[in-house]
Amino acid sequence: MAFWNKESTVTEEQVLSALKNVLDPDLRKDIVSLGFIRNLKIDKGAVHFDMTLTTPACPVRDQMRDQALALVKELPGVQTVEINMTSEVRQAPQLDRTALKNVRNIVAVGSGKGGVGKSTMAVNIAASLAAAGARVGLLDGDIYGPTTPIMLGIETAPKSVGPRIIPQEAAGLKFMSMGLLVKTDQPLIWRGPMATKALQQCLFDVDWGELDYLVIDLPPGTGDVHLTLAQAVPLTGAVIVSTPQDVGLRISMKTLRMFQQTRIPILGIIENMSYYICPHCDSKDFIFGNGGGKRAAEELGIPFLGEVPLDLAIRTQSDIGSPIVLAQPNAASSKALREIAEKVAAQISIRSYDAPTLEIE
Amino acid sequence: MAALPAPATTPKKIKKLSPGELMIAWGDGHETRIAAPVLRRECPCAQCKDEMTGVRLILPMHVPDSLEFRRIELVGQYALQFEWTDAHRTGIFSFEYLRSLCPCEACEKIRSGAQ
Repeated sequence: MAFWNKESTVTEEQVLSALKNVLDPDLRKDIVSLGFIRNLKIDKGAVHFDMTLTTPACPVRDQMRDQALALVKELPGVQTVEINMTSEVRQAPQLDRTALKNVRNIVAVGSGKGGVGKSTMAVNIAASLAAAGARVGLLDGDIYGPTTPIMLGIETAPKSVGPRIIPQEAAGLKFMSMGLLVKTDQPLIWRGPMATKALQQCLFDVDWGELDYLVIDLPPGTGDVHLTLAQAVPLTGAVIVSTPQDVGLRISMKTLRMFQQTRIPILGIIENMSYYICPHCDSKDFIFGNGGGKRAAEELGIPFLGEVPLDLAIRTQSDIGSPIVLAQPNAASSKALREIAEKVAAQISIRSYDAPTLEIE
Repeated sequence: MAALPAPATTPKKIKKLSPGELMIAWGDGHETRIAAPVLRRECPCAQCKDEMTGVRLILPMHVPDSLEFRRIELVGQYALQFEWTDAHRTGIFSFEYLRSLCPCEACEKIRSGAQ
């Protein structure tokens, strides 16, 4: 390097034009145009800036940071580079018009049939997003068979202040269950309009506060709760949980069609119970067949979010009210669940950028 | 009628031009202008259209031409719900349905050709 370069300082333009070479692989634009680079400060050879991503659970966060770091370091006159990684989750279009204007994204977790692990997925996705630093709420919408309260170890009714319900807190989440509105051992025998009313109450009368993500665990199938949700709020998207078994998948299609008819973007399919890991010899058994979820996702042209194994630890952690992603973060199943949560977050970011704008006057 | 491509049934802009007229600009560039009483007569709710037989229960003569909108609301992200000055408000008009009701000459032509 020529001697005068040591004296020269790098300019903002040079830093920004170097950073323009870093692309967000999900949003397919460079990080400067996306507005990720903020508070750029240059003090002689020391460069500081914030990189503000669209989600704290960004799956390519480290990759983009390393790339940016390397490119800026190469510039003449740069001695040190400091990147402060932050995030700001964008609000889904139209959501600011509803009573939930402090909630940025609402994501539903659904399935065709029951027992595929919807609640387990919803709880662990929500807990993973919260662990990554996002503000997350979880609404258990399954009034008829609420299991989420057990998975989070909460079985008492929420308190209320005047007409507002205060959500409970567990696993870093704000939590509300429609099941907590009734006594634990009593079966719920409600007609549709009551379920509709209860869901509206859980959405609009609960003090959710500021949330980046509100995850809604749906009951199985396509019933009153689903339709009410599709009509009451503009959902950012829906995640479908299925088992690899053909039956599970075929029924999931119905749920998928319902989401399409009500124009709720499908964020992807999660295949749960993909295989069984033998606790004795660690071998994989594909009890319900292999690759069904992935094939279905490809056929339908929707993202495949990942596979979660049948793992005894997921079940035992759920039963004691302590989600596996928090209790055993290094377990293989936790890693799979965390990656799925990151993919969901990435899909949400893509949707908020691509969403068609709608002006209403 | 065959399903229209997605942009044709995705609104870009929804505007109340006057108390009695609605404008929807669609993703394919088409613009629909439709009057409040016309929409009221095509209300798809169960009070206006028999759920089993599909027979229309509200007749054009029941709806005065002077009918206006009281409120226009988005339903989730797939439909609009209107409240008219006759206090009726139970119909949910999906974007597909709204596009199929477009009264312009070009759309009328396509509809009569399809039959």
